[in-house]
Amino acid sequence: MVSVVSERGDNRPRPPAAGVDPLGDPFLRTRFAVPVRPATFLRRQRLVEHLDQALDTALTMVDGCAGAGKTLLVADWAAHLGRPVAWLTVDACDQAPGVFWAYLLEALRASGADEIRDVGCPADAGAVEHGLLARLAAQLNGRDRPLTVVLDEYDRVTAPEIADQLGFVLHHAGRGLRLVLVTRTEPTLPLHRYRADGTLTEIRDAELAFTPEEAATLLELHGLRLGPDAVRALVERTRGWAAGLRLCALAAQQSSDPGTYLKEFEAGQSTIADFLLAEVLRRQPAPTQDLLLRVSVLDRFCPDLANALAGRRDTGPVLAELHRANAFVEHLGHSWYRLHPLFAEILGAHRRVRFPGLEPELHRRAAEWLRHRGPLSDTLAHGAAAGDWEFTARVLVDDLAIGQFFTGLHSDGLGELFARMPPDTTGPEADLVRAARELSDHDLDHAHVHLEHARRALARAGPGRAAARLSCALLDTLAARLTGAPGRAEHAARTARELRQDLPAELLDRHPELPALLQTHLGAARLWAGHFDEARAALSAAAAGSGGETALPREESLGRLALIDYLTGWPTRAEHKALAALTDAERFSLAEPAGLGLVHLVLAAVAVDRDELDDAQALLDWATAVQPVPPDPVTAASRVIAQARLQLARGQPGTALETAGSTVPAAAASPWAEDHTALVVSDAHLAEGRPETAVKVLEDAVGREAACTVAAARAHLAAGDPDAALDLLDHLPAEEHRGPAVTVRALLARAEAVGRQGDPTTARRLATKALAEARRERLRRPLLEAGPWLRRLLRTDALREPVPGGLTARPESRLRTLPHTARQTALVVEELSGRERDVLRRLARMMSTEEIAADLFVSVNTVKTHLKSAYRKLGVNRRGDAVHRARELRLL
Amino acid sequence: MRYEIRVDGHMSETLAKAFPELEHVMMSGQTVLFGPVVDEAHLYGLLARCRSLGLRVLEMRRVPE
Repeated sequence: MVSVVSERGDNRPRPPAAGVDPLGDPFLRTRFAVPVRPATFLRRQRLVEHLDQALDTALTMVDGCAGAGKTLLVADWAAHLGRPVAWLTVDACDQAPGVFWAYLLEALRASGADEIRDVGCPADAGAVEHGLLARLAAQLNGRDRPLTVVLDEYDRVTAPEIADQLGFVLHHAGRGLRLVLVTRTEPTLPLHRYRADGTLTEIRDAELAFTPEEAATLLELHGLRLGPDAVRALVERTRGWAAGLRLCALAAQQSSDPGTYLKEFEAGQSTIADFLLAEVLRRQPAPTQDLLLRVSVLDRFCPDLANALAGRRDTGPVLAELHRANAFVEHLGHSWYRLHPLFAEILGAHRRVRFPGLEPELHRRAAEWLRHRGPLSDTLAHGAAAGDWEFTARVLVDDLAIGQFFTGLHSDGLGELFARMPPDTTGPEADLVRAARELSDHDLDHAHVHLEHARRALARAGPGRAAARLSCALLDTLAARLTGAPGRAEHAARTARELRQDLPAELLDRHPELPALLQTHLGAARLWAGHFDEARAALSAAAAGSGGETALPREESLGRLALIDYLTGWPTRAEHKALAALTDAERFSLAEPAGLGLVHLVLAAVAVDRDELDDAQALLDWATAVQPVPPDPVTAASRVIAQARLQLARGQPGTALETAGSTVPAAAASPWAEDHTALVVSDAHLAEGRPETAVKVLEDAVGREAACTVAAARAHLAAGDPDAALDLLDHLPAEEHRGPAVTVRALLARAEAVGRQGDPTTARRLATKALAEARRERLRRPLLEAGPWLRRLLRTDALREPVPGGLTARPESRLRTLPHTARQTALVVEELSGRERDVLRRLARMMSTEEIAADLFVSVNTVKTHLKSAYRKLGVNRRGDAVHRARELRLL
Repeated sequence: MRYEIRVDGHMSETLAKAFPELEHVMMSGQTVLFGPVVDEAHLYGLLARCRSLGLRVLEMRRVPE
C-alpha cells in the first residue's frame, strides 16, 4: 500500500508471462468447477429466491450443518444465474494465506475475470502482500457488473488473517464483488456490521431444512410415494435434514417394503446419518462396500485411482452407478469423483473398524498411483500418511522439486511435511531433504553432514539416480555460496550442468526454479571471489525469469547485480536494479525478505554516496531487522562496508574503524571485500588526521582497485605531497568499466593536486568536469569529502551551477520513491487505496464532500474517512495541499 | 478436565470408535460421550469431529474430576 513511483512513474505490476500458472496443475481445476447436481436434486424455489438477494448484497452466508444441502443449493443457483461465477472449493491445505489467495485469484481468472491477471500473484506460501489485495479490490471495484464469488467449504479456512484479508477486499471492492460463503461454521467476519448495513444475505439450517411438501417431492424423485402423515413424521425424525432424507430414501428404496421400513426408522432412536449410512452400505454388494470404504481415504478419485486402491479393474461403471443412484458419490467432472464429505467421514469410521491397519497401505497405493499422474503435493501427503518416508523423499527428489524448499508457494508446506520425517529414515534422498531443510534454516553444520551422507550413498549406488545427483549438486552450490567457497561452487555447478543432460527435458522444464537457484548461488559465489564479469553472467541469467516460482532467486540475483554496480562505481545503475528487485518482490508478495537484505544494503551505500544519511540509516536498520545474521559472506561484507561508510559520513571515524575491523567468516578471501574495507579504514585515518597511516593501509590495494588508488592519492595530498598523488593518478589504469563514483573522485583529487601545483585553470577545468559527472549521478559525498578548497574554487569561479541540491541544501528524501518493503520505517508514504484516489480525483475537480459522496454512492462520513486517511498518507492537513501533494507524487 | 458430550440419538458401536479416547453410554434416545479432555484444542477438535460425522450435539459440559 505504498507509492511505487519508479523511474517510469509506473507502479502497476506487469502481467505474469503467458502460461505462468501458480498452481501448475490442471488436475486441481476440479476445485474451480461448480459441482454437478445429481438427477434426484430438488430445486427449492423459496431458497433460490432468497439466494437471488445475494446479487444485491456484498456478503452472503449459507451456513448449515454437514449434509444440509448447502453446496448443491448454491451450485444449482449459480448454474442458472446466467452470468459468470467464480467458484472455489476450499481445501484443507489452503491454510497458508499465500496459497489461499493464489487459488482464489486463479478461480477468478478461471471464471473469465481477465483483468485480475494484472493484480499479480503471491509467490510465497505464508503471506500475501497488502498491495496485491488492494489492487484486487480496486480491479473489482472498477467492474461494470459485480463478480459473484462462491467459496465452498469455507469452514476449512481457520487462519484468522485470511478472514481479515477477505473482509478487506470485500469492503474495498464495493459493488464489484458479491461474496458467497458456504460454510459449516460461522465465519469470523464482522457479520453484525453487514447485518446492520443490510448487506448480508443469510441462509441457515432452519431455512435449509426440508418442509414436508418438499420432502414428499424429494422422495417421489427417488420413486417413493408416502402419505402426508408418514412424510411429516419422517421430516420430524430427520428435522428436515437433507442428508438424512436422502439416506432414508436410499435405504427405503433398497428394502422390500419401503413404507414399513421408514415407519420403523421413525420409531427408532439411532443417530440418523450413522444408522442410515450403515443401512445403505450394508445393502451394497460386498465388492462395492469394499470399494467405498477404501476410497474414503481420498479427497477425490477417478476410476483408475479407485482401481489401484481396490485392486480391481472395473470400478468405473460401479462409480458411475453409485453417482447415478445418488449414493455417496459426487461427480466433479472429467471423470473425477468425490465422496460427500459427511459420508466420507462416517465411511472412514466404518473402514477403521472393518479393515484395521489397512490405512497406511491405502495411502501407499494412492501415493504410488499419484506419483506418475497426480500433483506432487498429493503424492507427498499420501506418502507421508503411509509413513513411507524413504518413498516420499524419493518422490520429491525424483521430481526435481528440491528447489521448492527455497522458493515458491510450496516452501512452507514442504518444510512442515518433512519436519515429520523420523530421524531413522535412510537413503540419499532422505539426507538430501534434510540438508535442504537445514540449508533453508541456515544450519550449515548439519547440512554439511547430511550432504556428505547423501554424496557417499550416491557414490556407492553407482550410475543412475541423476535427479538425486542434480539435487545434491544444487544443495552443494548453495552450501558453497553460504560458506564463501567459490571453487566448490564452480565445481558443483559444473556437475549440475552435466547432470541435466541425463534428465528428461520435460522434467527440467517443469522446474524453472532449479536453474534459477543454481545460477544465483553460482553468481553469488563468483561475486564473493571478485569475478565480476562471470558473476554477472550467472546472475543475469537467474534474473531473467518472470514467474512466481523464480521470484526469490530473481530478487537475490538483482541485489547482487546491484552490488556489483555499486562496487564498480555506478550508483544509479545499482539503484535501478535494487528498485527493480523491490518492485518485483512486491508484485509476488514475497514476505520472506531473505532476498532483499542485500538490496537494502546496496541502497544504503548509494544513499551514503548521495549524502542522504537518514535514508541510509533507515535502510541499514531495515536490512539488519530482516536478517539479523547475514546469510552469506557477500551480505555480511556489504553490511560492514555500508555501515562503516555511514559512520564515517556522520563524522564518526573511530566507530567506522571499529565496524571495519569486524571479521566476515568465509572459506576463501574476497578481494573486493578486503579492498573496500581497506578503503573505509584509510578514509577513517584520513579523517582523524593520519594521512601516512591512510596511505599505508592501502599499500596492497593500490593498483588492484582503482577506488583505492584514488583514495591513496587523496591521502598523499593530505600529507602535502601532490606529486606522489599525481604519480598515482597518472598510473591509474585506463578501465572501461570504471563508474562515475570513482571517476568523480579521481577528477577531484587531480584537480586539487594540480591546483596545489599552481595551475588553477586546469584545476578549474577538472573540477567542472567532476561536478558535471557528480550532478548526473547526484553524488554529493565525494564533493563534501573533497574539502574546503573546492568551495573556494567555486566561490572564485563563475561556474556556480547548482550541484545536486546545492552544496549546502539537503536534497529531499529519496526514500519515498522506494517501493513498500524498503520503507517500513517512519518514512513511509503509503499508497492510496482505490477509494481514496477516487475521492482525491473528485476533490481535484473542486467537488464538495457531499457531491463526492453522492457521486460515489457512499455516505458523507465514508468520504470523510477516506479523506482523513488520504491526508495522513500524504502528510497534509488541507484539501488544497492534498491535491497538490498527490499531483506532485503523480498519484492522480 | 473431564467433559461429557450429549448427542442426539443412539450411536452405533462403529461410529463410537471414532471417539476412541472417550467412553460412551446410551440413555433415553441420546448418547453420552465422556472422558478426559486434554485441552481447549482437543475440546474444539471433538466438536468438529461431531460436526463432520453429522452428529447433533445437544449438550456439552465439564464434569468434576
